[in-house]
Amino acid sequence: MSQPTTPTPSDKPATIKIQVDGREVEADPKQPLIRACHDSGVDVPMYCYHPGLTPVGSCRICQVEVAAAPGQPSRVVAACRTPVSPGMVVQTDTPKAHETRRECLEFLLKNHPLDCPICDKAGECDLQDYSFNEGQGKGRSSEPRRKLEKRKSLGDVIVLDEERCILCSRCVRFFQDVTHKPQLTVSGLGSRSTISTFGDKPLTGNYQGNLADICPVGALTLKPFRFQARVWNLSKSLSTCAECSRGCSITVEALRGKEVKRFRPRFNAQVNQYWMCDTGRFAYAPVTQPLAPAGSALGGRLAGAAVRGYGGLELVEVEPALAEAADILAAHPKPLVLLSPFATQEEARAALELCATLGVAARFVSPAPSALKDDLLNTGDPCPNRRGLTELGLAPVEPAQARVELAQARAALLIGERIQELLEPAELAKLPAELRLVVFDVCAHDLPALDVAVGAPTHVEKSGQWLNIDGHVGVLNVAVPPPAGVGPLERTLRELRAALAPSAATR
Amino acid sequence: MVIVQRKELTFAERLYLPEIFRGLSITFSKFFEKPITRQYPEEPLPTDEVTRGQPRLVVKDDGNIACVSCGMCEIACPAYAITIDGGETDRQIEREPKRFEIDMLRCILCGFCEEACPKDAIFMSNELELADTTRRGLVYDLEKLKRPKSALQPRIDYVYRINKRWRSKQP
Amino acid sequence: MDVPQPLIWIAKIVVIFGGLVGTAALMSLAERKVSAWMQYRIGPNRVGPFGLLQPLADGIKFIFKEELIPAGANKFMFRLAPALSAAPAMLTMAVIPIGGTAVIAGREIPLSIADVDIGVLFLLAFSGLSIYGVILGGWASNSKYSLLGGLRASAQMISYELTLILTILAVVALEGTLNLRAISENQASIGQWNIWTQPLAFVLFTITMFAETNRHPFDFAECEPELVGGFHTEYSAMRFALYFLGEYCAMTVLSCLNATLFLGGPSVPFWPEAPWFIGVAAFCLKAGFFLFLFLWVRWSLPRMRFDQLMRLGWKVFLPLALANLLVTGAFISFGAH
Repeated sequence: MSQPTTPTPSDKPATIKIQVDGREVEADPKQPLIRACHDSGVDVPMYCYHPGLTPVGSCRICQVEVAAAPGQPSRVVAACRTPVSPGMVVQTDTPKAHETRRECLEFLLKNHPLDCPICDKAGECDLQDYSFNEGQGKGRSSEPRRKLEKRKSLGDVIVLDEERCILCSRCVRFFQDVTHKPQLTVSGLGSRSTISTFGDKPLTGNYQGNLADICPVGALTLKPFRFQARVWNLSKSLSTCAECSRGCSITVEALRGKEVKRFRPRFNAQVNQYWMCDTGRFAYAPVTQPLAPAGSALGGRLAGAAVRGYGGLELVEVEPALAEAADILAAHPKPLVLLSPFATQEEARAALELCATLGVAARFVSPAPSALKDDLLNTGDPCPNRRGLTELGLAPVEPAQARVELAQARAALLIGERIQELLEPAELAKLPAELRLVVFDVCAHDLPALDVAVGAPTHVEKSGQWLNIDGHVGVLNVAVPPPAGVGPLERTLRELRAALAPSAATR
Repeated sequence: MVIVQRKELTFAERLYLPEIFRGLSITFSKFFEKPITRQYPEEPLPTDEVTRGQPRLVVKDDGNIACVSCGMCEIACPAYAITIDGGETDRQIEREPKRFEIDMLRCILCGFCEEACPKDAIFMSNELELADTTRRGLVYDLEKLKRPKSALQPRIDYVYRINKRWRSKQP
Repeated sequence: MDVPQPLIWIAKIVVIFGGLVGTAALMSLAERKVSAWMQYRIGPNRVGPFGLLQPLADGIKFIFKEELIPAGANKFMFRLAPALSAAPAMLTMAVIPIGGTAVIAGREIPLSIADVDIGVLFLLAFSGLSIYGVILGGWASNSKYSLLGGLRASAQMISYELTLILTILAVVALEGTLNLRAISENQASIGQWNIWTQPLAFVLFTITMFAETNRHPFDFAECEPELVGGFHTEYSAMRFALYFLGEYCAMTVLSCLNATLFLGGPSVPFWPEAPWFIGVAAFCLKAGFFLFLFLWVRWSLPRMRFDQLMRLGWKVFLPLALANLLVTGAFISFGAH
């Protein structure tokens, strides 16, 4: 289950003292009792409650035994709808509380199908976990389970399995509370209640994917992830979304540590709370089939390095490629150096050291804002490390302007993931062949100007830091190993500098 | 310290020759007894439903594979021999394996997959022989693993019989 | 048609040597078959009917095996030794009469390659040579196992050769001739077989036969448990096979000698006028019994210890054989005449 931690704002709100399972606990009076329990490390189950949504108390699984003060008579209440009051005594582990929860669970399981082997949620399903802990092995009901639609499409992203739905209404409240554009409702009566859109229209908006995250059971699933992997086979690593300068905290989940299958938002109070947009969520495709559009040379990912031979680009080891790059830079002083906005702080510092050796200034390519900007998370700025690069003293340069300067330069260095994509390979192909071009990127396009290309890792294959638009640090970790022959870009840049320094000294 | 008292030998025993003839007569009498050798490839080993041979996947009577690629056997396998990639199917059961591989070189025939399976989809067959000229050839894929349910029925009945505590009745 | 004498000689050589080597090959199969039958097994049965072609398959395999010569080995001696072991064992067969006189197309042909007057002496001299094969092989291998195995084998063979000679001497003294054909012809009827006049010599000879050929329970030349393979540890391929060929040939020759000396050679009991080929069959049967005895004993009895072997040879067999010779001599000198 998702155990949220309280955000720690600088101005601490006034707290009151309550007793949870025999311990004195400080509680925020603005938050419901269940938050106080979770913050004190006591596990209280929850389905309909979500820390990012308004509590409604519809599932009743969070019931605990509460007394107004020690010695007072106690009663069982839903922790998500009970405000905290000073001196209140909460007991979560009493037979009465367990019994009440078990009865609730039995009603929830009455109609919930036993298809955990098929369900994508299995392994990270709250209902499964609590049934395992608190439920009983066998159902007592002899009535058949209700039959509803198993595959109801709710737009391009989400599929609804009505049988699995426990009507917690988290999804309904998500559109009310977070996007403020209600799109879902509970329709029908009694056991025929289902989740449906208004007028059965498909869902819209850039935040539908969050529904699959907040659904406590496997009723709402992501179409692209459907049946792709069992969640226990996914290795999870902390990372940061690369699609805009917001830099949402995410978890990169890779099947058996090799193939990225899912990006999920990770709670970050300062940046993205519990959410992320679909643009970032489904951005793993270019990372897994990494940036190998038609026209990129040498079969997609550049494993190792490539140099221009007599017959075109040839795969070589990194070391000779760097030696050739050093020769080019020695013969053509003052090259044009452009960084990708995807470059981490570490890569940018290594690039700046290189620029100091070359005696030039570096700039980073800054494409125009996209139309994806909204008032929730997406900033529309496709430069995830704009703030960080700016703070390091790099100036932005428009792609069109960069291409003009490239056409006039004698030699140029393009450094960082996706830089060829940002400068558009078709336009780069028009550059004169006299230009000596050295590229550090995840792939190599067969540009006439290209002399040396050295492979670089994608942002799920490297560790480093980005600064988001508000100055918060976003970490990157190695989620999947880079292809053989591709090392960290900062190391490659330092090796180039080492190869360059002696020749620069002799000149 | 233990002092071993050697047996006092009679004259006939000390003469050695009679004892030799006694020994020779014993071996000679064995000469005419029936050999117990099994001529293996021609006379295969007897197997029955208790034999825990290589795991095989059940193909139901309607021709569909019983496996829903839930991954229980994959995670139960102590030898990491099983690899499953699931995918969507149009059948009522929404999920089916797109890739199901058992590395028979890794498989230790422990039967955990059979115990773990919630769908009665994988059973230990009575197939024991395993030979190939390449390692890749011994990584069995779906086509090599599929067996009609009738072929595995004795084992299925046996598993239900010994596990009647939690496997109540066959579907 | 008058066949020239040399052709007859060549035919006899081919038949008798071929028979000897064939017997040795078959023995390698029989060894495995007999042991299998005694242990409720089947034995080799994949090559040819009942596995009869197994020796052929083994031979082909031996030829194609890689031949290894250890570093530091005396190459010339190393290569020579197996031949020295096999050749004398085969040569001794020349003086053994496998039958009386064959009559083919009216021509009388004595059924032995060489009918020499000093047959017994020739046989003893050449079988004594085979010890060189063992000790040279053991020494030339430059290996501690081989050296110890070779030394043990030579000590054993020299010790038991004395008993062997003394028991043969008793028979020779009784018969008054060294010619093996004469010895076998003197035992034409079953009552004249030397086994009745020399029972002790027969028993001693039979047991000594095992020690002389390094066979179980006296197989100290090979002694797998403590010396890996004894004198042939370092041998491989056809040279290894040659040692075994020599061993089986020696077994065959000594079995034939035993049949000739004590069981009347080709004489058929209660049928003195039996045709020559029946005589040959009888001879083969008698020799075959001893060959079977070799296998039978090997797969029944435990090995002896080396000190037990030497004690038996020097303290039991040698005095017994000497006493037997003395009694025989006394009997001849002061007896029935």
